[in-house]
Amino acid sequence: MTYFKYVALAYAVFFVVLAWDFIVPRLQIRQQLREARARLTRASRGSAAAVDEELSR
Amino acid sequence: MFKGLVGWFHKLGSPPYFDTFAARWSTWCYIAALPLFGFGLWQALAVVPADYQQGDSFRILYIHVPSAWMSLFVFGLMAFYSAIALIWRIKLCEILAMACAPIGAAFTLITLLTGSIWGKPMWGTWWDWDPRLTTELILLFMYLGVMGLYGAIDDRRAAARAAGLLAIVGVVMLPIIRYSVVWWNSLHQGQTIRVFGESSMDSSMILPLWIMVLATKFWFVGSLLARARADNLRREVGKAWLREKLEKSA
Repeated sequence: MTYFKYVALAYAVFFVVLAWDFIVPRLQIRQQLREARARLTRASRGSAAAVDEELSR
Repeated sequence: MFKGLVGWFHKLGSPPYFDTFAARWSTWCYIAALPLFGFGLWQALAVVPADYQQGDSFRILYIHVPSAWMSLFVFGLMAFYSAIALIWRIKLCEILAMACAPIGAAFTLITLLTGSIWGKPMWGTWWDWDPRLTTELILLFMYLGVMGLYGAIDDRRAAARAAGLLAIVGVVMLPIIRYSVVWWNSLHQGQTIRVFGESSMDSSMILPLWIMVLATKFWFVGSLLARARADNLRREVGKAWLREKLEKSA
């Protein structure tokens, strides 16, 4: 193949950028879901503590 | 039929419904894109004969041209969604418009880099301040401007409106990029591939190009839905539907 290194470099750029485009939204979704789960855990801990206080009175 | 479509669009505007829809269809679009990429690249790199003047360097065309078309198409779509979002205040359209920006920027970056790599052996230079190259570079800056503006304002809705306005104004660049090779003397070659009418490229070289064009379209829809889903989740992080969904999945 003539100009092999140019062709290889161009296709490498194409795949690297598309790989970035594939990975980034997945990481963002994972982060948002993790944050939502953490909120849920905090909220359930908070409500459990409130119930404990009420019972001790 | 039309009533059903409008009903479905209203349903799609509901964040929980959109989350489920985007999660499912994003995956299917990526799954559709991958074999198309595989077949298109195999045709482009192994089946199609080398060009009689440019040798094998012309094979860069199969990633350069679909990416260049996508860079223009995505900007147009982003402006379209932004206009709908500004006129009718539809939140989903704001989300979709802003999700277009990084994908469009990625395709513009691919266009510029692969064009530069192709230019070195053919023109003897990596870069030239040629009208087509310069206007495409301005397009990349406009995408970055939209992304930067959206990220700079805390209120998501106000940010989307401001960035959307920039996208709408930026549409003026699209015909300039498209006709830059006609209006000015350009190092970049003129139009060789026509959707309507005869292309000046040999018919044996055309098929992989259309396959790659289709593959990039599927990829774009997959990526658009995934990015829009991420933004939708970010806006909805404390809402009851998401809590219920997480509780059910736990």
